[in-house]
Amino acid sequence: MAISEGTTIIGESFLVNGSLNGDEDLTVRGRIEGTLTLTKTLVVEPTGVVKAEVQVKSCVISGAVIGNLTATESVEITKEGRMIGDISAPRVIIVDGASFRGRIDMGEINVEGAERPALARASSRPALRPPPRAAIGRSEDDEEAEESAALAERASAAVKPPPVPVAMGAVKRKVIVRRK
Amino acid sequence: MATGIEKAPPVPRSGAHTLIGTSIVIDGEISGDEDLVIQGTVKGKITLKESLFVESSGVIEADIETGNVEVSGQVTGNIVAREKVELKAECKVAGDIRSPRILIADGAVFKGSVDMDVKGK
Repeated sequence: MAISEGTTIIGESFLVNGSLNGDEDLTVRGRIEGTLTLTKTLVVEPTGVVKAEVQVKSCVISGAVIGNLTATESVEITKEGRMIGDISAPRVIIVDGASFRGRIDMGEINVEGAERPALARASSRPALRPPPRAAIGRSEDDEEAEESAALAERASAAVKPPPVPVAMGAVKRKVIVRRK
Repeated sequence: MATGIEKAPPVPRSGAHTLIGTSIVIDGEISGDEDLVIQGTVKGKITLKESLFVESSGVIEADIETGNVEVSGQVTGNIVAREKVELKAECKVAGDIRSPRILIADGAVFKGSVDMDVKGK
């Protein structure tokens, strides 16, 4: 990670206990305990631990943060980031792999007009019925033509719900097919 | 005094992993095992194993306990260094200094007592 000039860095072996205020970017590789107030960006690197009430403009967490975090712009928890505490920020990004426990407050949210996607579960649920007889019958008859059997299999596979619990009749029929 | 605009003086010291920038104010304790460069303000206590550099924009109101100290800024508080304390020309220091080696440059402003007793601490 490139560190620009004027960035404050708290090194890996450092522990800052108390309050920290500033108007510039801060990169934490060590530990900070207490309160942390910045008007710029806080970057907590993977080795960094912040146990503090944090108030910043924006924040990128790749290390550990314990405490409440208020950002005027955004908070991002990367895949290495761990956080326990409440977040209050208009933009909160939590990527896959990040760990977080706490509450998030993104401020006023207009819920009206934003329609909830309908539950598509019922329609997408695989049918309990066995696959169409035609497919099975064909594979039973044309034993010699393997490609047609394969075709039928593919066709039936397209319709057949793969691992769903099958009705008794379907199981029986399957057994017959295997006997050939 | 440095304003917020003219920050980041060209002093990227090699080996210094930690830097407290000009606009940063820390009220509390700092401890660590690496070199520390301070351009901002620190109040409280500083405990280091290595060297502390207080740059000309740095303001410290704290007791300092380190290996080496190099002061170009302002320090109010007692300094205890295991090896060396160096007060540069532009610095202002008020407090007691205890270290086996103490260097005070021409132009440095210092008020306090000096103790070079090696066996002390």
